[in-house]
Amino acid sequence: MKLPKPILDLVDMINAGPRAKHRGVMGVFYYVDDVTEAVRALRQTGHRDLRVYSPVPYHDIERALEQGQSIVRWVTLGGALLGMTGGFALCIYSVLSWPLVVGGKELVSLPPFVIIGYESMILLGSLANLFGMLALTRLPEIKVSAPYDPRFTEDRIGVWVPCAGEAAVKVQEMLRGHGAEEVALHA
Amino acid sequence: MANNDDATYEPAADAEDVGVTEHVPATVTQKSLNADILRMLERPGKIWWGVFLLDLTILAIAMVAERNQIVRGIGVAGHTRPVMWASYVANFVFWVGIAHCGTLVSAILFLFRAHFRRAVYRVAEAMTVFGVMTAGLFPIIHLGRPWFPYWLIPYPNQRGLWPNFRSPLEWDVFAVTTYLTVSSIFFIVGIIPDAAVQRDAAKNRFHRLLGTIFSFGWRGANYQWKHYYGAYLYFAAFATPLVLSVHSVVSWDFAMAQIPGWHSTIFAPYFVAGAIFSGVALVINLLIIIRKGYRLEHIVTVDHIEKLSKLVLLTSTIVGYSYLCEFFCAWYGPSVYERDMFWWRFTGHFWWASWIMFICNVILPLTLWFKSVRRNLTVLFVLMLFVNVGMWFERFVIIVTSLAHPFNPANWGINYRMSWTEASILAGSFAWFGMYFLLFIRLLPAISIAEVKETLPPPLRRKHG
Repeated sequence: MKLPKPILDLVDMINAGPRAKHRGVMGVFYYVDDVTEAVRALRQTGHRDLRVYSPVPYHDIERALEQGQSIVRWVTLGGALLGMTGGFALCIYSVLSWPLVVGGKELVSLPPFVIIGYESMILLGSLANLFGMLALTRLPEIKVSAPYDPRFTEDRIGVWVPCAGEAAVKVQEMLRGHGAEEVALHA
Repeated sequence: MANNDDATYEPAADAEDVGVTEHVPATVTQKSLNADILRMLERPGKIWWGVFLLDLTILAIAMVAERNQIVRGIGVAGHTRPVMWASYVANFVFWVGIAHCGTLVSAILFLFRAHFRRAVYRVAEAMTVFGVMTAGLFPIIHLGRPWFPYWLIPYPNQRGLWPNFRSPLEWDVFAVTTYLTVSSIFFIVGIIPDAAVQRDAAKNRFHRLLGTIFSFGWRGANYQWKHYYGAYLYFAAFATPLVLSVHSVVSWDFAMAQIPGWHSTIFAPYFVAGAIFSGVALVINLLIIIRKGYRLEHIVTVDHIEKLSKLVLLTSTIVGYSYLCEFFCAWYGPSVYERDMFWWRFTGHFWWASWIMFICNVILPLTLWFKSVRRNLTVLFVLMLFVNVGMWFERFVIIVTSLAHPFNPANWGINYRMSWTEASILAGSFAWFGMYFLLFIRLLPAISIAEVKETLPPPLRRKHG
């Protein structure tokens, strides 16, 4: 399918990202254990704001980065509680605002309202989970926050170390020493 | 998704030969996997176009039938008092049931850490979303005045009217719309890392555009994976009780009414098991076609299909138990109406439909006890078609026979015959579902690249020197 040129140019522009000035070193690795060792060594030398790009998540790398648990669950809990209360509130408000007895049942019949509360809890909990995840993962990402290589979705792992000057030289040596296939300085 | 246990990345002793999960051969690499899955997005062949055009033709016929019904009124359907719910409601329940497999495979099996789901769950999830989109049409088609479905939605209006929240039909509105929303979110979120692969590696710019849109700018950074999996766990945790509730709520459309054959407490688990039964059967059919058509036998293996067929066997036994339990309760219980209803179901005017249901859903799946049947894909394909025929007839039998044989013997005439309009719309529902599915497999990765990649042995220097 042939798309109009302006659309294609726009896609290319989005993928390339704005021309941000990145200062640091990017190392491209193949082996997971090399990355794990490199991350540990870098963190020991004070580089704690590392970023690792990988095609799949590797727990050894996560442990080396000492990542805690995601806080998205608290956002999700908030959405779920709001949904449950909102579901019950909608049912109770509606029967009280137009009091019409149906089938001889109580106006505020909680057992059937449980279903509305339950479904609303799941709906709003899931929406909160989605928006929480998007916010925390900074998606949609328009402005690329570090140099990126398409091989990171294939089979290579990237380690981005923000640094400059002499520190950058040492980082380059360190990454090469730990088995990086390529090391690029962005200054 | 990510293994949240403390497993190390040392591949198992036999990983050289069969891969970590014993499902994907060791010849598959991260790079070859990308290429194999993205190959599905290349220019479609003549067979795809032929099937797609046939599909659109059937859909066009159904749209003419629907136009006919809108112009001439709901009377063109075969509904006749007292059978005022018939094929449209049966279709609704059938398609909601089909939609249950996706959530089962993607959420429930995820929570149980059943790793075989990784290669098959995307197809099942797509089937869920398109199945609910199909199911949602039928209450509207059945309305008679299909331009008023929004009356079911609670919204402030000048008359101060609200829907009746004590009605099972209103519960259905909440259950089905929640299910459509949550399953769509689950589906789209699952695609994000794979769409990034498509964006980075697609050969043509149209597919790159789709990858750009659906990846949301995903780069696979460590903080992204962390929150992505954190959220994915909760999507699964929400979707699991949701899938159980949705078909329970659908079953209460019937069970809450005091009609012999409907008014039963076993309906919720009975319907949920039936839904999973038919959904897994259809996903097996679709997977057999896709793996053959796109030469993906090394990624969607016979092992995967066999494990799914065991699920069919399990749910078939639950469905069979439910049929027998209903009969036992009718025979043992105090209601003569109930007893008469069940006897009439299998010996009366619609005996043929009841026996198709019983044979297809209970007798034929018993052959799945044999490993040779579970691993013979031709036999399995035909068997799964029979299962879905049987499951459509199950809904037909429950709805039509119960209404056709009510309390008053004066109404025991032969009073329902499916019209051509209904038959066309039933065929059109398959075409509607098929249209979305055919487009999906051409536009986005139909097999989860990231999840299958996780089953491959990770590259370790200490292993390779």
